[in-house]
Amino acid sequence: MTKITLPPMPANATNQDRPVNGLLKAQILHLHEAERRLPLRHHTDIYINAIKTEGEAARYIRRVTEAIHDAHAEAAAKRARGKGKRKAVIDIAAVADEGPSKKGKKKGKVSL
Amino acid sequence: MPAGLDNLKHIVVLMMENRSFDHMLGSLSSVNQQIDGINAGLSNPDTTGAAVAPQPLAQFQGQLDPDPDHHFPAVDLQIFGGDTSAGRQPNMQGFVKSYFNQQQDVGHSQKIMYYFTQNQLPVLTTLATEFAVFNRWFASIPGPTICNRAFAHYGTSFGQVGMNVFYVMEPYKSIYERMVAAGHTAKIYYYDTTSSTMEVVNLLQNEPQLFGTYQQFLSDCSSGNLPDYSFVEPNYSDHDGDEGEEVANDQHPDHNVQAGERFIASVYNAIKQNANLWQSTALLVVYDEHGGIYDHVPPPNCSPNAPDGFVASPNDTGLPFSFAFDRLGVRVPAILISPWVPKGLVVDGRIFEHASIPATVTKFFLGSYAQRTAREAAADTFADLVSLDVMRQDCPDFG
Repeated sequence: MTKITLPPMPANATNQDRPVNGLLKAQILHLHEAERRLPLRHHTDIYINAIKTEGEAARYIRRVTEAIHDAHAEAAAKRARGKGKRKAVIDIAAVADEGPSKKGKKKGKVSL
Repeated sequence: MPAGLDNLKHIVVLMMENRSFDHMLGSLSSVNQQIDGINAGLSNPDTTGAAVAPQPLAQFQGQLDPDPDHHFPAVDLQIFGGDTSAGRQPNMQGFVKSYFNQQQDVGHSQKIMYYFTQNQLPVLTTLATEFAVFNRWFASIPGPTICNRAFAHYGTSFGQVGMNVFYVMEPYKSIYERMVAAGHTAKIYYYDTTSSTMEVVNLLQNEPQLFGTYQQFLSDCSSGNLPDYSFVEPNYSDHDGDEGEEVANDQHPDHNVQAGERFIASVYNAIKQNANLWQSTALLVVYDEHGGIYDHVPPPNCSPNAPDGFVASPNDTGLPFSFAFDRLGVRVPAILISPWVPKGLVVDGRIFEHASIPATVTKFFLGSYAQRTAREAAADTFADLVSLDVMRQDCPDFG
């Protein structure tokens, strides 16, 4: 059995100030598209046109990915609660009155 | 059925970024003449008309900066050498010209012809010589990442030839959704939340349960809980992780190629270190597209009997003509790894592309499945390469 020695971890290989490449730019745009479909309370306050470096791109990508997971987790929790307790008609009507996001509305934030 | 195929329970695909076959594995033709790599007589003209031969001078980082253009118009130039006539044939003569367009520097443009030596890439070249290397695995589209990766997930890019968001159209489903609907398990493992996935809108938004991180992949390998089908994405960016700085390991220029070598070894080791998993898993290491870097094999036409069913307009191609998805992209490295694959197998005389991935997974796990493009249905599949009756004990270790 052959044992192959791995190449060393390259020193100085990382550079978070490297300009974003085309791939990361596309990923940012795709995530921005996804972000627009989230409830307003899950939107980031990051202006994507100002993202110039890999480090900045990474921070935005993380924020939106987490927001997507949070939004799904929230929806799943709501579904689970709904299964456990049959809502009265009045409760359902109250939920419908809540709108998509009170928090978002307060801030006056609009999707880009 | 060979014992290897009988034992196969998991398929894992690791898709790296933006390197051509000749650039990464071309040196291996000097080790094994069956491998269709760099040979004497290959060249590309530079803008002065001088012939530029491929040279073993590739560097791990800092050489292909700016990122070589690999959008549709640039790849068209690379493949056809600037010929736009109706009866043109691919000649792979436009790589240096294409790279020159980015910096107007003749010397710099020649670097697009550089390739790595075998010793520089001990992980990839060892895997290629120890397991099955494909002489003819092509990107699905002569274009960039997103549309090519779409073929690996859906068997089509829904008419896209670029980096735009695409929307899934009925009746087509991703391979993950097909698997889950049939009672199988499937997952995309992205590196971490900060790197995330390139399959953003259509899967992450709708199907977060189909996603995991690389740490979860390692854990699932160790505990024996790997799904039937797994797709692994590398780290696309240098960033701060939870345990310090993470280095991009996708090998996309200008990210460090050695970091990618270590990542490929890490995926291999994770599978191999669980004996049960190792004997029941086939790992495909493949690159999404060539990244604008030289390769000498002209991409073939797609079968006229198996249309993708979409047409990209001149608006989409950025050229004066439309594209009917009737030609493959540039050749990329692809290696199939399993202890049931013959040592040193060179897969020749067959054509593969990224639609071969959902085609293989579908055929192996689901059998017949109608709701897919004719292109995917006609794509060659690779599970048959897991063909040994006795499991190999001589597979390499990386450490």
